[in-house]
Formats: sequence, C-alpha cells, structure tokens
Amino acid sequence: MALFISSCKHQENEYHSITDKIEAKSKDYHGVSVSSEPYFGDIDLIKISEDGQSFLIPERKGNIKSYACTECHTKPLKQMQSKDLKKAHWNISIKHAGANTMNCITCHSSNNMDDLHSLTGSKIDFNKSYKLCSQCHTEQFKDWKGGAHGKQIGGWAPPRASLTCVNCHNPHNPAFSSKWPARFNTQKIKERK
Amino acid sequence: MSDDGKKWFKLNLNSKHKQESSSACGCGKTSGGCNSHQKEDFNEEEFFEAAVDASIGDERKKDGFDQVFDVKMNRRSAFKKLTASLLIGAGAVTTSCSVTTGKDDKEKAQIDWEEQFKGNYKLMTDDEKSGTVDRLVRSYQLRTGKTISMSSKNAAEDVLFGYAFNISKCQGYMDCVSACVEENNQDRNSQMQYIRIHEMDNGKGFNFNEADDNYYHEVPAEGHFYMGTQCFHCDNPPCIEVCPVQATWREDDGLVVVDYDWCVGCRYCMAACPYDGRRFNWSKPEVPEEEMNRNQHYLGNRMRKKGVVEKCTFCVQRSRAGKNPACVEACPTGARVFGNLLDPKSTIRWVLENKKVFRLKEDLGTEPKFWYYMD
Repeated sequence: MALFISSCKHQENEYHSITDKIEAKSKDYHGVSVSSEPYFGDIDLIKISEDGQSFLIPERKGNIKSYACTECHTKPLKQMQSKDLKKAHWNISIKHAGANTMNCITCHSSNNMDDLHSLTGSKIDFNKSYKLCSQCHTEQFKDWKGGAHGKQIGGWAPPRASLTCVNCHNPHNPAFSSKWPARFNTQKIKERK
Repeated sequence: MSDDGKKWFKLNLNSKHKQESSSACGCGKTSGGCNSHQKEDFNEEEFFEAAVDASIGDERKKDGFDQVFDVKMNRRSAFKKLTASLLIGAGAVTTSCSVTTGKDDKEKAQIDWEEQFKGNYKLMTDDEKSGTVDRLVRSYQLRTGKTISMSSKNAAEDVLFGYAFNISKCQGYMDCVSACVEENNQDRNSQMQYIRIHEMDNGKGFNFNEADDNYYHEVPAEGHFYMGTQCFHCDNPPCIEVCPVQATWREDDGLVVVDYDWCVGCRYCMAACPYDGRRFNWSKPEVPEEEMNRNQHYLGNRMRKKGVVEKCTFCVQRSRAGKNPACVEACPTGARVFGNLLDPKSTIRWVLENKKVFRLKEDLGTEPKFWYYMD
C-alpha cells in the first residue's frame, strides 16, 4: 500500500504551478551548451563584480572620442578658457537633476581629467562609470545588477553581458525623448471598421 | 497500452486502482490522475503509456503514409480520402514519369509528393525532421533560385524559456513590433503583427476595452502607460488542447509551436486563447524577396501558407541558438527581459524573485510564462 510521495506531478511534466515546475526542474541545473559569446560582435567587454553578481559590460574609454582627456587638458582649466584656444565641449549642456544638485564638477574633477570622482572625492574609472550613477540612483542600480533594468548584449545564454548606464542614457541628458512610433497599422483600421 | 501486446486500450471503468487513485487525489486535477498517489502495481511507466494511448492512441506509432492509410474506415470515406490525395499525387506522378519534363520539375514533383505525405513534425525522428527541412530548403531553391537556411534544432536540456515585461519602462515606441515583423517574415499585405502594444489610461488599470493598440502620435503620450501582449507560451496552454489534429503543442523548453504543414486552419486555437495570441493567414503570406529573413526554423519563421495559424514563437530560430528574441533586442527602453527559467543565475529568475510580478488572467490557470513587473 505504499504510495510514492514525490513532487505532486500530474502525468509527465505537469506540476501544480509553473513556479513549482521551475523550482523542481532547476534543482539539478547543469548549464546549457549554447553561448552568447558568438553574438557579442566586436564590442570590447570587461568583467565586473558587484555584490556577488558578476557580468560583462562594454569597455568605455575606447569609445570616448577624445579620451584620454589629458591629451588636450595639459594646462589648468583657467588657462584653457582663454580666447585663443579652440573651443571644446560647447555642445554639452546639463539636463540632469537641477543646478542645485549637479554641475560639471559633481562628476568631473579639474585636477584629474582622466578619471571621474565620487561625491566624496574618491577616484572612479571611466570604464566603471556606473559607480558614479549608483550613488543617487540606488534602486536602478539594484535592478540593473539583477537584470531588471537595462539591456542584455548578445543573448540570454551565459555568459551574461549587459549594457552599462551610459550606453543608453546620455549622462549629461539622461531622459529618453518622446518620438513617433515605429509603425502604424493601416490594415487594422480597415478591419475594425 | 500495457506490455502484454494488446492493441486496444481498456477503459477499466470498474477497476479498483483507477477509482481509488482518482478519489484519493487531493490535487484537484481529475484528468489523468495524480502520479504521487499511484499504487505500485500500476507503475509510472504503464500509467504514462496508458495515458498517451488514451489521448493519441495508435497515431504515435504511425507516421506519414501509415497515419493516412492505415486507419479503419468505411468505403465511402476511404474513397473520399484517396481521391483527394490522388489528385495531388496524380499531378506529381505525371510530372515525375513524363519523359518531356525537365530534371528540376521531376525533383520538384518528388519533393511535393514526399511533403504531401509526411507526418506530424511532433512525431518525427530527428532524421525525418532534417529530411523535411532539407526538402523545404531545396524546394525553395528550385522555385526561387535563392537559398535559405532552415533549422530543425530541438529543445535543449535544462532550458525553459520565460519572459518579463516592465510596464514602467515601455514607452510605446513599437520598435519591437517592427523587429518582430522583419524577423519572423510576417505577411506584409495584411500587416500581420504578433505583438500588440496597448496604450492605457493612467489610473484605469488594465482596461483593454478602452485601450488603443493602434495609436499614431508622439509617444509616450501624457497620462498614458504602455503594455505589450503577444503569445505568452502558457505552460498549460488551452490552445493546444482544442487542436483537432495536434498541429500545435508545447515543446520541452516551454515554447508553444505550430506545425504549419499539419494545421488545417480550423482556428479553434484562436478561439481558445484567452490572450489573442494567435493570428490567421487569410491570404497567402508574402514577403518581398529582399526583406526575407533567411535564417529560419521549421517551427518558427519559415514561410507559412494560406489558411494556417501562426504566432509568436519567442523567435525559436534565435532563442534555441542562445540569442534573445528580436523584440527583446530591439526594445530601446530595456522593458523586455528574456531568459532561461531553470538557470538560477539568469536575469529572468532575478526579476521573478525580486520584483513584484503578475500575469494576465492568472485565475484561468493557463500558467503563462510571461510576467509583467514595475520598477
């Protein structure tokens, strides 16, 4: 009269709920044979580890047109603002928080152009600029680390690679602008008449 | 079917173990009984065999010709079936036997003949699957002179696909819809779209009656939020239950797929789907040759026929290769998360475990593998 008591399955592969199924089936997860690597293309990726989650993000410095900054910034800022030098960064205006909260030197430092700095003045590498954003945007940072915010590169298969903050948001003007939808379905209008 | 070689299935209405097992089951489900309450004298394997037999019977052991010809029927229906098939066959035979037709025509006829009498994809062995895929590729080449690649890649072990949609992030740009249409070779004339983006009024919740899924103005519009629907790849899909020919089923990696060559176009599945996830080809789907996506899968974006049902497959041609579906890749806001539900370290699992998630019409018990969440 022995009953076998295992998970309460109904026929094969049937569980009470999808959460039961996920829990039961992922117990002996062995990994998959497919990989995202072939789809990374020629993006340079660097590995980061934050609170036990480690994944890849795109390298940044190589994509900043005029990095390293010190190639131009050879003199203190005061001297560079003289009239005889070529103008630079004239097109950057900050639309990020208010002037009360942020200005250039919240992130950039005048004495070390090649790095960013935190609110307390410690050095932050341009490649890890997310550390700068995460000082205020703590919830977004948490979601990004987990994968609920932001976008994946390649595919779902491991290794995980994610875009970093500045790949989608312009740090000087981070909001997304409104635009027209990509398409309009004229057939649907006809069908519903 | 039990192991004693009997060719029929006994209902065993008065049988002791059947009755006991169904009444003793506290699991709420009556269909098929519950494995955990089975007595040892009716072991799991036998029970599964019996259950399979009761539902599809002899069909699982027969394929192709057998499924068509090896059935008991009266003379009238036999003649009907034969004439229908012969009409197609006769065309093929005359072309293939004629001395005047070219080599290509003969090959075309041979392919048509074999395709006409192939079995249900679900029941095919891997060899048969690659056989039909090769025929379809060759047939396309003979007809258009262009080459496509078509995969018959099966579901991988340890994979169960799941999807999450962030309704706080979606801005209604519809880049996903465009990417989907291009990726999946959807009919351009009828402007078929698997994905719908619904523009909803703030403060009214998910009110589909007042939502607009075909807006055309600058987005995001003031006072609105956006949410997308498509096939949710339910784990308990009502659409596959109603299919009279078993042309649609759930694969082991959770994808609900359609064999376009087995579908008879009755559209029961469309009626059964509570989410409006399926689309019907009222006309022959057409895609301009230069816009055709040549990276195809038998169960995915290969060209459909007139009169068959199709739907989102989570881009089976991409997802089984490790990529994200086209909609996920195209979304500029990162509102779409896709991944392997069985991988405890996947981002989709993180979303399910750490965000407040919900699904549409959860009370129906369809168990969609498509969750919504907010920031």
